[in-house]
Amino acid sequence: MAQPKLPSQFAHSALRYGLAVASFAVALGLALLAQYYGFRNVEVPLLLFGVAVTAWYAGPGPAALAVVLSIAFFDYFFTEPRYTFYVTSSDIPYLTVFISFALLVAWFSAVRRRVERDLRQARDDLQIEVAERTQQASLLNLTHDSIFVRDMDFAITYWNIGAQELYGWAAEDAIGKHSNHLLQTVFPAPLEDIQAELLRTGRWEGELKRTTAQGTTVVVVARYALRRDELERPVAILETSNDITERKRREQEIESLNLELAKRSTALEAINKELEAFAYSVSHDLRAPLRHVAGFTELLHKKASTVLDEKSNRYIAMILDSARRMGNLIDDLLAFSRIGRAETQKTLFSLTQLVREALTEVRQDAEGRNISWKIGTLPDFYGDRSMLRLVLVNLISNAIKFTRTRPQAEIEIGCANGDRDDLVVFVRDNGVGFDMKYVNKLFGVFQRLHQADEFEGTGIGLATVQRIIHRHGGKAWAEAVVEGGATFYFSAPKPRGLLWKP
Amino acid sequence: METMNKLGRILLVEDDPKDVELTLTALEDYNLANEVVVARDGEHALDYLFCRGEYKMRSSDNPAVMLLDLKLPKVDGLEVLKQIKSDEKLRMIPVVVLTSSKEEKDMVASYKLGVNAYVVKPVDFHEFVNAIKELGAFWAVINEPPPGSVRK
Repeated sequence: MAQPKLPSQFAHSALRYGLAVASFAVALGLALLAQYYGFRNVEVPLLLFGVAVTAWYAGPGPAALAVVLSIAFFDYFFTEPRYTFYVTSSDIPYLTVFISFALLVAWFSAVRRRVERDLRQARDDLQIEVAERTQQASLLNLTHDSIFVRDMDFAITYWNIGAQELYGWAAEDAIGKHSNHLLQTVFPAPLEDIQAELLRTGRWEGELKRTTAQGTTVVVVARYALRRDELERPVAILETSNDITERKRREQEIESLNLELAKRSTALEAINKELEAFAYSVSHDLRAPLRHVAGFTELLHKKASTVLDEKSNRYIAMILDSARRMGNLIDDLLAFSRIGRAETQKTLFSLTQLVREALTEVRQDAEGRNISWKIGTLPDFYGDRSMLRLVLVNLISNAIKFTRTRPQAEIEIGCANGDRDDLVVFVRDNGVGFDMKYVNKLFGVFQRLHQADEFEGTGIGLATVQRIIHRHGGKAWAEAVVEGGATFYFSAPKPRGLLWKP
Repeated sequence: METMNKLGRILLVEDDPKDVELTLTALEDYNLANEVVVARDGEHALDYLFCRGEYKMRSSDNPAVMLLDLKLPKVDGLEVLKQIKSDEKLRMIPVVVLTSSKEEKDMVASYKLGVNAYVVKPVDFHEFVNAIKELGAFWAVINEPPPGSVRK
């Protein structure tokens, strides 16, 4: 309780001492009146009553004043010698009685005051607590979590806005109801086990399936907390829960997608294995009969060429040519399939050096030809060196092949303007070119834009080029004009952290 | 003939009779075919090398070179190679894998097991004949075989 301010405290003190004087005056007046009408021995109780009233209502200070006044005027009016303040020994007992009585009453009064103060304090505390609790209870309504309290018989005793929002029941509908019946709760474990755990540890957490007032099913993750009273008896359970229906649905979706993915990757793995076995089988089993065809035809030719007519000999030559062609086809196809399967081993190397090596490799094709080579400055390249060599060999031998009809072939290898991230390398020739409307077919397996007797080939070279470049994260494309030469480009990411000088 | 006197015995392990015939023809052309023993599967080859089964009675000297196909019935070529290279007496025989397979894993496996050469049979007959001839000439004539091999 707040202390009164100084002026009012002063007024309060004056009032208290005034009460002392007034009650003394009233008691004295009544005593003198009684004496006047011949009543004996009432002055002491009357004066004591005045002291008592003062002590009770005004406190120790005014009580002391009342005692002093009472003793003085008792001595003056009622003890011998009268009308003097002279104190005799016979006055001592009265004196003692007055003082003891005043002390007693003052003590009672003090006790009363203390009790009163304590009570007031307790009341105020209670008021504050009630206010706080009310505020907290309203705070619980602010949360998105659903919170409710039920007693040990499952009767709901508290139900926040979150619970109302989640389950669709208003607090007045929910309170007093059996929580599991109202919400049609489906537990993940036997209810007895959950209760047992709750009683043992004071907590439980788990996923529950519930039905809302609207009849829809929700999945919630619920946390139980057990409240015990001061005798440790369980009295209530606080349950907070969050709606995880959507999350659950997504989880299930992800799970099923993952399952599907795993299934597909297993299937893919199986297909890859099969493909590998197939390639192996092609490599081994297809080659043997082919070798026999070629071998025995050759032997036949050796033994019988003199007795056979020209036509028969030509047939033999065609069989041999076909066998050779099929052999090349098998080799190229296997190389192509290997590129898809093999791991790329990337290093940083000089393209200039690699072009030089590629040129050595295709030297045979260029024999007896009049080719003017123009090799530009080439950058360093980060990639699988042997694969890149295959790319260059393919592109350069194509250029040599398709310039065959030119008396003066021109082949240029250089670096075009790439962008910030990619470098672009090209191989340009002045050969027969091709019609740009077939450009989409160019990089397909077994796709050929020229007749076999015009320009030989298996139709796998450019498919191989594209596959290698794709595996390096680049692109391969071409530009050409019929009878006006062709340019083949490929791009690849620039080596990182290295300055590239054009 | 001069060459015949120097010629070592060749063990040809090959299951395909057509390949056997082509190989023998190729060797014949260069007079290398006389001392060729043909084993038609891996087990047969091992019987010969370890002098057991039908080869119990043969003289125990090793061939000067062994031409080994990889894809063989019963015991495959890699297994034969493994057994030879882990045998104290047989490990010295030069082994040439002569196969249709261009698969890198076969090549790697063969070299790991200690093969002396790995030759892919060319489809082209001339190349095939050349390869066989050169192999035969090198291993059975030029190369000095390890002690304990047959050399006529």
